Amino acid sequence: MKEVPIIEMKGIVKVYPDGTKALKGVDFSVKQGEIHGLLGENGAGKTTLMKILSGMLHPTEGKIYVRGKEVRFKSPADALANGIGMVHQHFTLVEVFDALHNIILGMEGHGLLSKINVDKAREKLKKLMEDLNFRVPLDVPVEDLPVGVQQRIEILKMLFRDVDVLILDEPTAVLTPIEVEELFAVLRKLKAEGKTIIFISHKLNEVMELTDRVTVLRKGEVVGTVKTSEATPQLLARMMVGRDVVLRIQKPPKEPGEPILRIENLWVKGDRGEDAVKDLAFEVRAGEIFGIAGVEGNGQTELIEAITGLRRPEKGRIILNDRDITGRPPKELYDAGMAHIPEDRTRMGLILDMTVTENAILGLQWRKEFQRWVGTVDWGKAKRHTEMLINEFEIVAPGVDAPVKSLSGGNQQKLIVAREVSKKPVLIIASQPTRGVDVASTEYIRNYLVKLRNEGKAVLLVSADLDEILQLSDRMGIMYEGEFMGIVKPEEVTTEEIGMMMGGIKYEELNK
Amino acid sequence: MDIGSIISIIVTSLMAMVPIVLTSVGAVWSERAGVVSIGYEGVLLMSAFFGAIVAELTGSGVMGLLGGIATGIVFGMLHGVLTVYLKGNHVIPGIGINLLALGVVPFGILAYWGTAGQHQVTVTLWSWQTKYGKISPMIPVTIAIAIITWWVLFKTPLGLRVRAVGENPEAADALGINVEKYRFWSTVYGHALAGLGGAYMSVAWLGVVQKAMSAGRGFIALANMVFSGWNPLVALIGGWLFGFFDALATWLAPLHIVPGQFILMLPYIMTLIIVAGIIGKARPPKWDGRPYKRE
Ligand SMILES: Nc1ncnc2c1ncn2[C@@H]1O[C@H](COP(=O)(O)OP(=O)(O)OP(=O)(O)O)[C@@H](O)[C@H]1O
Ligand SMILES: [Mg+2]
Repeated sequence: MKEVPIIEMKGIVKVYPDGTKALKGVDFSVKQGEIHGLLGENGAGKTTLMKILSGMLHPTEGKIYVRGKEVRFKSPADALANGIGMVHQHFTLVEVFDALHNIILGMEGHGLLSKINVDKAREKLKKLMEDLNFRVPLDVPVEDLPVGVQQRIEILKMLFRDVDVLILDEPTAVLTPIEVEELFAVLRKLKAEGKTIIFISHKLNEVMELTDRVTVLRKGEVVGTVKTSEATPQLLARMMVGRDVVLRIQKPPKEPGEPILRIENLWVKGDRGEDAVKDLAFEVRAGEIFGIAGVEGNGQTELIEAITGLRRPEKGRIILNDRDITGRPPKELYDAGMAHIPEDRTRMGLILDMTVTENAILGLQWRKEFQRWVGTVDWGKAKRHTEMLINEFEIVAPGVDAPVKSLSGGNQQKLIVAREVSKKPVLIIASQPTRGVDVASTEYIRNYLVKLRNEGKAVLLVSADLDEILQLSDRMGIMYEGEFMGIVKPEEVTTEEIGMMMGGIKYEELNK
Repeated sequence: MDIGSIISIIVTSLMAMVPIVLTSVGAVWSERAGVVSIGYEGVLLMSAFFGAIVAELTGSGVMGLLGGIATGIVFGMLHGVLTVYLKGNHVIPGIGINLLALGVVPFGILAYWGTAGQHQVTVTLWSWQTKYGKISPMIPVTIAIAIITWWVLFKTPLGLRVRAVGENPEAADALGINVEKYRFWSTVYGHALAGLGGAYMSVAWLGVVQKAMSAGRGFIALANMVFSGWNPLVALIGGWLFGFFDALATWLAPLHIVPGQFILMLPYIMTLIIVAGIIGKARPPKWDGRPYKRE
């Protein structure tokens, strides 16, 4: 007898209210107890399909079966009642609540008008965290926690509800390599307990490592489902893109020019008053990509915030093109030729409720080319500019007047990159520039950064993705607790040596 | 200033605080759930009017207050349908309600009682007459409502959900909380409290219906809500401070110590300084005033 799949979606069609046809008849089935990967380019419809499965969206057409029985989800409450829970690509946490209250929300466990009693919930969570070796601080407002921890809270939120099917939409995009390993360990444990997991990622090696089967979507249709053991990254990439993807970056050797950005003895404090950046000094020269590697949370964020004028340094100087810009406001820095791709796109890069056009000229609106007369924006020109960016970066968007939140996550990221490089900067600061971006677009963005470098721009790259740093950087600093363990050329060191520096061993000490 | 005047200023201030506190507390609740309304001014006025009619028809002051609540509920539901279910703009319906009140009430006074602009209410709520002025049972009721609302908002699952819906409706939705239901009924509750405040003015406090008797209290209540940092307890204190400086201004006015215009500004400025001083920077609920749509 053929076993009944725990999830079966048949002929799913989704047309968004604005007419975007995101899914065009998708069949998707998941077996009990497997880890099922879901792959596809940005805008392929992965999130849409999973939002339908979790009751967030209603399918325009199609049927859903859970354990062989047809279901109709009116809301996520129905999906949860059927044991299906989703961790969203963009977190859904109440930022001012602590983890505990985020988790118990909607499942407080007693009368609506009686005093909240968290003892039982705390017990259950403690046990859950103990069993899975997956801990979060329960009593700190989540807005004060790093994204990696926020994500754990999201996962615990679902496990607290005893879901059988856990959907994870690009969970690793915001995690450090170590956190990814920890997450995988937890997911494997959950699988061993009999839970079913649907895992979305753009990173083929992760999908290869973790999943049992993979379904690939392209432009709202299923390309196919394969056993991971019978697949290769090349095969998956070809299924996704419809052509062979050369994951290679063309980077001709180049003599760097004058220093563009100079950091001198910089000290920056973190949110908790600790010294996050300690006496850092380096320079980024014209025609050079300078990479900063390191486990996230070792001062990279604070360093970038200081350079981009978002955080006041305690001591030291930041010099851009021979001009002291320490502590100057961001607008002045942008006018001086700095562009910034921020690490958190929804918090700092975009205004989600505003249109694609409005977002595409954010920070550019003062420029002459977008002004009609005093203070008014020439929206015709702005739209043409936006259309040009959309074409050049192959951004999939319902239109230039659509709100940015209707773009898929990866396309939002591409829009930021497009906007920032269109500022024609002399220095571009790229934090996690390819986070959440599909394989083909990653290749495009990386090549674009190299192109900027070849044109003589200075690029400061921060990435949690070590491959990205190694591939792109001319020189790289390995950051540990606010200091560089070494500034090296990627070809001079081995991965092991980098790993040791990331763990806090100085380069000079390595060679002894 | 003798002790007698001090006591009477305090009594007056407690009477004056009731409509402002009730409206502020209602607005706090509604905005905590993410629904903004600027129609409280109109609701105060209309429920003062309808509350008086109900009181006279039934011969009961309590029924009059209930009539005011019912008026608030009707407009709360209207606002709720427009903003929560039809995802409309949160400010515009309030403008409509305020304008409607400016028409309905003067016309209604004339049409119903046959007097222009003002009517002496014949049935009022019992109050305790003292030599310092009258004291309404609505004073302790208002204090209790503020405290209970605070407690429910911050200590119970209901309050947790309401706050979640106003901070991040998507998060609440993803956990199976019916965002629209919570938002809708929160709006209704907010307007119902304003309705109670309005009926109190005509039926319990002033004993008249006048065509402009809300006198900006709906807007003062909104300002008080903001200064309070969306906290019902602070709104209670803020509302009382306003009442206090209002009573003080009325007491000072005939003495001609300071210019009249300055005295009129006193309650506004002092309330602002003190409450803003206590709270410092407050941050509104994150999704306040924004409709929530899934797609
Ligand atoms: N609310 C919306 N309104 C209109 N169109 C939308 C909306 N949300 C998504 N879309 C469109 O539906 C398509 C599929 O989007 P979806 O978010 O499912 O992609 P995805 O596969 O998850 O991509 P990514 O890898 O970038 O996250 C895209 O073309 C997107 O622009
Ligand atoms: Mg997605």
